[in-house]
Amino acid sequence: MKRLLRLPALLRLTLLFLITLVFQNCSQQKIKETTDETLNITDYLRANPDYSMFVEILDITNYASFMNTYGTYTIFVPTNDAVKEYLNDIGATSLNQVPLADLQNIAKLHILDQKIETTSFTDGKIATPSMYGQYLITGATNVDGVSSVTVNKTASIVASNLEVGNGVIHVISKVLRIADKTLAQTIEANPNLSLFTETLKATGWFSILNQPIPANSTNINDYLTVLAQTNDVFHKAGFDNLDQLKARYSHLHNPLDPKDSLNLFVAYRILPRLQYLADISVSPALVTKAPLEVISTKLDGEKILLNEDTFNGILEKGVEVNRGSSDITASNGVLHYVDGNFAIKKRLPAPVYFEFTDIAEFRRLTSIWRKPAGGYQTLFIGDAGIDVTWDAKASDASAYLAYNKAADGTSITSGIAGCWNADVCEIFRFRDANAQNVKFTTPVIIKGKYKIWISYRQQGTKLGNVKVFFDGVELPRQINLMEGGNTDTAGTPETVLESQGYKRYATPWSNRVNCRLVGVVDVPTTARHTLTLQSQGNFGAQSWFDIAEFRPVEMNQLWPKFTAGRGTLVYQ
Amino acid sequence: MQTKIKTILAIFILFVSASSCDNYLDLKPQDGIVRAEFWKTKEDIQAAVIGIYSSMLNSPPGVSDDFNMTEYLFMYGELRGDMLGAGGNVTDEQRDIMNTNIIAANGITDWSAFYRTINYCNTVIDLAPAVKGLDPTLTQTQLNNYLSEALAIRAYLYFTLARTFKDVPLKLTATLSDKDNFQIPTSTQSEIFAQVIKDLKLAEEYSVEDYGNNASNKGRITTYAINAMLADVYLWTDKYQEALDCTNKIIDSGRFGLISNVSGNSWFNTVYAKGNSSESIFEFQYTTENLPPFYSIFYQRPQFIASSDALEDFFGVDTANPSNRDIRGEQASIITGTNLIHKFVGFDNTSIKALQSSDTHWFVYRYADVLLMKAEASALLQQGQAAIDIIKEIRLARKAISLTVEDVGSEDTAGIISYILRERGREFAFEGKRWFDILRIARRNNYERLDILLDAAITSAPPQQQQSIKAKLKDPNSHYLPINTFVLYTNKALVQNPFYK
Repeated sequence: MKRLLRLPALLRLTLLFLITLVFQNCSQQKIKETTDETLNITDYLRANPDYSMFVEILDITNYASFMNTYGTYTIFVPTNDAVKEYLNDIGATSLNQVPLADLQNIAKLHILDQKIETTSFTDGKIATPSMYGQYLITGATNVDGVSSVTVNKTASIVASNLEVGNGVIHVISKVLRIADKTLAQTIEANPNLSLFTETLKATGWFSILNQPIPANSTNINDYLTVLAQTNDVFHKAGFDNLDQLKARYSHLHNPLDPKDSLNLFVAYRILPRLQYLADISVSPALVTKAPLEVISTKLDGEKILLNEDTFNGILEKGVEVNRGSSDITASNGVLHYVDGNFAIKKRLPAPVYFEFTDIAEFRRLTSIWRKPAGGYQTLFIGDAGIDVTWDAKASDASAYLAYNKAADGTSITSGIAGCWNADVCEIFRFRDANAQNVKFTTPVIIKGKYKIWISYRQQGTKLGNVKVFFDGVELPRQINLMEGGNTDTAGTPETVLESQGYKRYATPWSNRVNCRLVGVVDVPTTARHTLTLQSQGNFGAQSWFDIAEFRPVEMNQLWPKFTAGRGTLVYQ
Repeated sequence: MQTKIKTILAIFILFVSASSCDNYLDLKPQDGIVRAEFWKTKEDIQAAVIGIYSSMLNSPPGVSDDFNMTEYLFMYGELRGDMLGAGGNVTDEQRDIMNTNIIAANGITDWSAFYRTINYCNTVIDLAPAVKGLDPTLTQTQLNNYLSEALAIRAYLYFTLARTFKDVPLKLTATLSDKDNFQIPTSTQSEIFAQVIKDLKLAEEYSVEDYGNNASNKGRITTYAINAMLADVYLWTDKYQEALDCTNKIIDSGRFGLISNVSGNSWFNTVYAKGNSSESIFEFQYTTENLPPFYSIFYQRPQFIASSDALEDFFGVDTANPSNRDIRGEQASIITGTNLIHKFVGFDNTSIKALQSSDTHWFVYRYADVLLMKAEASALLQQGQAAIDIIKEIRLARKAISLTVEDVGSEDTAGIISYILRERGREFAFEGKRWFDILRIARRNNYERLDILLDAAITSAPPQQQQSIKAKLKDPNSHYLPINTFVLYTNKALVQNPFYK
């Protein structure tokens, strides 16, 4: 100490100064170990007393910790008032009295495993099913001048798009209830549908509509859609009881016979797949359970009209779907009401432009499918099987299909941007031993004679020839995927190209894409058919397919064309 | 020796550690002027006023808004209307607004560009009067003229905000330091309109009739621009006689007129491609040195095109005689087939300007607007015949085809108003007015004509969302955009529009 004091004043000062500095710098620094403090769903709900009862449901069902894991979820959270109302409805005083299985189902119905913001809500179902399996439907209502977005028609959204770490929360005013009645039970429960119920029973369709869907299935093909007629509608058409209907339609006097007209009359009102009005309004033709027969649909302003067509220059009036009462969810399908009686109609062949990317497997990629920004997503054989399938081994990770979309506005000569909608169905390892036969299910094609044109994005190397099969029958011409489009400046008329089996299907046109006539087919039935692409090569590059056009033979084969990079048609 | 080294070392350490801890360095900004050195002469005021205009043409230096003022004016006026379609490069946010799928997080609801320019106006209004004492060459009239420009622009921006967002915060003083209160609650739409009228009246008192050159007369605020704005606000606030008086002031001045008896080609070139025509009252003066955004958003990478039915629904197509056409429609507003919006990129009916010379102005008020506002006010004052005559006059000058003629009686006020709305659609296609026109007419008399708004929405709605859109629009609050999430976050005094829950 003495020695220290003996140091010159200046040095002592320096020492003191340095010591202070050292002490200052040694103070414990707080290092943040997390990069993000955003709460996850469960923590967010716990932090807010308004949702305590739903948190209780999550706790009882043991889903609380699961909803706190990382992921992309959408959760519909009923407020405490909503949960109390639910308890009231089922006659319980506390959540502990509700059977665990019920609570689990309820909780699962409120959770989707994709992040869906209200901006992607439509008038129909949310593209992703709930964890329970049932689809939720969205819409909007106006009560006393105040509009709100609704879920499953009854619950309105109180607060929306609350972003949390593992997804998004929408707060709703009512607990969503599981549809536990089958279509048959729903129809039978409505006294206005008594004649329709009787007819269903007489024709044997009642039991079909009463079958539950396979457990945990989320495949929309397992569901049914029914277009029901009330007694009133029957009455206006002159039918007051089953006997009158039998007298008018049942030509074989055995309604249980599928060939009997009354049976067909009912079958014509039952559509395969789960189709809400929003789906019906965008599909030009609906397949029915009546073999070979379809219903055409048309959106006129906001009316959905069935079977309104111009035939031989004469407008045939259609019947309107009753929007207000339709979209009733049942456990195995959906029920709609129509405002008039309608009968089976004969259909003329109409063109079908089947885009290879317009398949259920790709449509559920809601974040990129036909979105302006584009994107790329692979599809392995395990996830396929609805509208497309191919002969790869499940273990073969190098054979896959992919949805490939260029950003809108990309120059049409760059990549796949010159294709319709700027997207293609990409087949990787389209070759023997990997994915050799790729089988697509087409949209509904009406019975008749069609020319089939296949268009694709060309590539200069490592691709081979492709054979095309329609319903398993090989078509006469093969496609050479290395052959580019004709941009002949000498001005060869398109009709000459057409006679050689080529056309400039897109506009504006570039030589990056090409279109080939593969053959003429006689489509035997009005239904969905299969189109198989079979590779003849053993090369490894990606093959890019755009559209399969089915044009009736008597139709102009060149027009309308497809807008390159966009989703519109261009008429001559 | 050792002591010496130690001493030197000690001094050195002290010097280094002491000087590094100091922050006496005080620099003035290298890229701007501080306030103490500005606001000395009348030239400073003029520079500040011109700065207001230029902030509306393109974002000021150092500011990176997503869009400039012209784009916001276009989007607020057209996205929700029934004439616009989505182009290939439309963003998700733009598409969401077009489909009434609006959430507060949508970036287009950011109003900062508006409040920035409003603050420029406030600064002029607050600080310019003091220059009078410093610069003896500044006359009171000159000062008033500058104030009238700032007042009118501020009023126009508040008017646009109130039409777009309904209730917005009203700030009438300049923000000069960080200590200002930024937590301002909203004022109601009617309060904003009242303030706008008050400001415009004062501005009119102070205003300039003629700057002495055409570019300034069309590019800066004149008595006539102020009266056009006033007429517009009066129509929104149901003061029809006042609106009529304002339009008459402009018409009676004799300075403006419709260009008639010219070919469609030359009319388009004069009014739009060149701009500052005798039909013009107030335009944003883009030049080849200061280009507008149009070439990119309408032509090069089109974000917007005309909706597929716009040409046929509004202008009509004479299939028997293709050369019989409304000079405002085909090849003027819209290119047939591709549906490109031609108005802001075209040189004449057949050619498009090159990128570097694409300098078409943004048209805030044109003479036809004044005429049609007069027609609207007349019709609502039960002077139906006067309104019909004005529509006829415009249709004659524009060679409108007989397909779009409507036969309405002079007593049929509702019919005349619908006719005016359609004529306005033809006349001001894509000039940022469509949605405001629909909304103004629909909301009058407690939403008596809500059907107009719903019909317009149905025609442009995607089929699978139509019903939701219709239900949403039955709520009047849904006709206004939400306050942006980020703005709500920073200003706790704001309350969100109840529709956007």
